[in-house]
Amino acid sequence: MDFIVFSQLCERLEGISGRLEMIDVVSRAIPPLSEEELPIFVRFLMGKIFPDWSPLKVGIGPNLLFEAVAYVAGKKKGEVIDEINRIGDAGIALEHLLSSKEQTSFFSKSLDLVEVFRDFEYLARIEGTRTQREKLKVIRKLFADAQPIEGRYIARLLLGELRIGMGEGNMRDAIARAYQVEAALVEHAHQLTNDLGEVALLAKNGPDALRTVFIEPFRPVKMMLAQQGTIEDMMKNGGEVAAEFKYDGSRFQFHKKGDESRIYSRKLEEVTNALPDIVQHLSQATDHDVIFDGEVLAVRDGRTLPFQYVLRRFRRKHDIDAHVEQIEMIPMVFDLLYLDGRTLLDEPLLVRRELLETTLRAHVAPQVRSGDPQSIESFYRNALDKGHEGIMLKALDSLYTPGVRGRQWVKIKPAVDTMDLAVIGAEWGEGRRARVFGSFLLACQDEGELLPVGKVATGFSDEMLAEIYALLKDSVIAHSGKEVTFEPGTVFEVGYAELQQSPNYRSGFALRFPRFVRLRDDKSVDEIETLEQVKERYKKRITPA
Amino acid sequence: MLKADIDADIFRETIDVISALVPECRLHVGESGIRTRAVDTANVAMVSIELSADAFNSFVATEAELGIDIAKMKNILGMMGKGDVLKMELPDEGHKLELAFGGYKYSVTLLDVNTIRKDPNPPTINLPGKAVLSGASLNNAVKAAAVISDKIALGIDPDAGIFYMEAEGDTDHIRLDLGGDDLISLEAAQARSLFSLDYLKDMGKVMSRAEKVEVHLGIDHPVKFSFAIAEGNGQVEYLLAPRIEAD
Repeated sequence: MDFIVFSQLCERLEGISGRLEMIDVVSRAIPPLSEEELPIFVRFLMGKIFPDWSPLKVGIGPNLLFEAVAYVAGKKKGEVIDEINRIGDAGIALEHLLSSKEQTSFFSKSLDLVEVFRDFEYLARIEGTRTQREKLKVIRKLFADAQPIEGRYIARLLLGELRIGMGEGNMRDAIARAYQVEAALVEHAHQLTNDLGEVALLAKNGPDALRTVFIEPFRPVKMMLAQQGTIEDMMKNGGEVAAEFKYDGSRFQFHKKGDESRIYSRKLEEVTNALPDIVQHLSQATDHDVIFDGEVLAVRDGRTLPFQYVLRRFRRKHDIDAHVEQIEMIPMVFDLLYLDGRTLLDEPLLVRRELLETTLRAHVAPQVRSGDPQSIESFYRNALDKGHEGIMLKALDSLYTPGVRGRQWVKIKPAVDTMDLAVIGAEWGEGRRARVFGSFLLACQDEGELLPVGKVATGFSDEMLAEIYALLKDSVIAHSGKEVTFEPGTVFEVGYAELQQSPNYRSGFALRFPRFVRLRDDKSVDEIETLEQVKERYKKRITPA
Repeated sequence: MLKADIDADIFRETIDVISALVPECRLHVGESGIRTRAVDTANVAMVSIELSADAFNSFVATEAELGIDIAKMKNILGMMGKGDVLKMELPDEGHKLELAFGGYKYSVTLLDVNTIRKDPNPPTINLPGKAVLSGASLNNAVKAAAVISDKIALGIDPDAGIFYMEAEGDTDHIRLDLGGDDLISLEAAQARSLFSLDYLKDMGKVMSRAEKVEVHLGIDHPVKFSFAIAEGNGQVEYLLAPRIEAD
C-alpha cells in the first residue's frame, strides 16, 4: 500500500463521525492488503506503531520531530513552533510547512506503508553514541520523501496522536466484517495476543485460526480490571464469592520461563530491572513456567507505604541498587494466567486459584470465600483497619478477561470523588514556582478525543511540582504566552468538590475546587475517565438519593 | 579472505572518512585493495573511498563483501596508539574480523550485509567549476560560517577569479573570498550552491587533514570534494546535495 493511499484514508476517516460508517470504510480497505501490510495497517490506523506488548518505542519527542521538519523545509525551529501555535494542530501545521522543501537529496521515492514502518522500526533500534543524530536523519528522510499530507500522518504517528477515532472496538468490528468472522472471536484472540495487527492476520485465515491462540511468556497480556461496586450487589444472587484485599500498591504481571523472569507494569512496560527483589522472591517460590498477576507493595520498617513509592521505583532506571535497601518490595500474587504451556484465561477463577496455590510456595495473596454478606462486610472492615484501600470481590466462575472492566470483578472501597484525567496543557507558575508548571489543564476522553474539564493548581507539594515538571518538560508541543500544550501521556488523579455544567470547557462540564491527589503513571491516557462516566457522575449528583 | 597489516593512523583516517556520514557500510575487499560507497540515512550525502593494496604494509585478499559497524570500529580504533600496526584477518567464510594491535586482540562480529543498504549508484552530474585549496582553510571557513548560521553558500565568481563562501545568520553575515595565492588552482566557471553546515562540519573535520581538496561546484547543484588519504594510496570523494531556497 502506498503511504499516500493510507494518508488519504486517514483523512477520509477524520471526516467521518459515525462509528458504523467508519467501520465500513476500514473493513473495505482491509481485504486487498498483503500479509506484510495488514498488521501494520491495523496498528497504524489505531495510532500505534508496535503491538502493545512490544517493548519497542520509536522514542521521538516533539522537539526532534520539529527539528527535522525545520531542516527539510528550510525554516528555523522557532518558526515551526510558531506555525503550530498559529494553526493549533501539529500535524496540519507540519503539512503546510512541508509544501515547500529546501534540502534536496540524491534519491527520493514515494513512500510505502511497509517501508515507513521499517524506518520506524529502525528508529526504535538505533542505539549508541550518535543515536539522536541518526534518528534525526531517519525522520528528515521520511519528511523529505513525504508529500505534505503524508507528512501530517507521519508526524501524528510519531507523536502518538493519530486520533482519527479508530479505537480498538471499531477496529475489532472492521476486522470481523472484513473477513466475515464473529466479533467475539476477534475480541478473544485480541485479549490473548494483545495485538490486533496479528489478530487481523489470523482472521484472514478464518475462525479456526482465531480459536487456536495461546498466550506465552514474555508477551504481556492486559490486566483484567474491576468495576466499582457494592457488597450488596455482588452478593444479591446468593452463592459464594472470593474476597481479597485491595492493596494500595502497583499492579504487575510476572512472567517466567525456565531461568528467565520478567516483570511488566499495568501499562505493559517491562520493569524487570526496577524490581530485582520481586524477581528474586517469585522465581525462588516456583519451579514452573508461569504468568502471575499481582500487586507490589512497598514496605519500610514493616509499614506499608503509599502507592507513590512503588511507582517511583517503576520509573527509576538507574541507581536501583541504592534504592533496593531503603524500601522493601513485596509481591502479592492473586492470579495465574499461564502454567507450563497451558493458557488458563478460560478457566474459572476457582480452578486458577487452586493451581496458583499449588504452583507458588509463597506470596500468594490471602483470599476468603463466603456466601454470607455479613462476613464479607467484616472482611472489608478488617481490610480498611489494616490500611488497605478496600477489598476486591470476584465471582468464582469468572474467566480472566484481559483488559476488560467487567462485573465479574468488583472493587469495594470508601466513596471518593476523584477522577483520573489526562494532562493536556499547563501554565507556568508564579513567584516561587516560576520555573515549573503551576497549573494544569485536564481532559476526559470521548472515543479517543480529549475534552477539557478544568484546571488544577492546588494539592501539589513543591517537590511534586518539580517531579511533574521533569516528567512533562519534553512533552511540550506548543507554547503560547504563559501556556503550553502537551503531547498527552500523563494522567493525574484529581479530587473535586462538585461537578458543574459549563460552557467554558469543551466537555460541557467543569470541576469545582479541583485538587491534585496523585500521579497515575501506571495508567495510560486510554484509561482515563470517559465523558460518559462524567455525565453519569453529574446525574447522580443532581438526583436526590 | 583477508589478511593485512596497516599503519594504525592510516586505517583510523579511513574509518573517520566513512564515519563522518554513516554508522555502517559494506566494505568491498579484493586483490587490489578495499573500497566502499555509502549514502547517509537521509540520502543527502555520499562517500566513496578507495584504499589501494599499497596503503598496507602487507595485503592479501580475495573478493569479499564485509558488513562493517563503523561506529563500533571507530571506538575500537580509538584504543590504538600512534605508530601501532594493526593486523587484520578474516578467514574464508568467516563472520568475525580479527583485529590485533599493541597486545590487544579483538574479534569483531561482522554485520549481515543484507541488513545494510546496497552501495548507491553515483548520480551523473556535471560540475563545471573547480577550486583546489588546502583542507585546513576549507575547514576553517566552514567553522567560521557555523558560528552564525546553519547553511553556507559555496560559489565561484569567474570575473573576479575567486572561490567564495558566504553565510547568512539571523542578524549576521559572513563572507570569505579566496583568490590568487589563497588557492592551489581554480577552474573558473559561474557557480553557486547552498549547503547544510550540519554535514559540512563533519566532512570539514575529516578534510582538514588533507593537503589539498578539490571542490567541484555548479549552480544549485551538489558539491563534490575529492582528496587523497594514506599518503596518496587512497582516494576519497564526498558528495553533498544542495539546499534550494524557495523564492
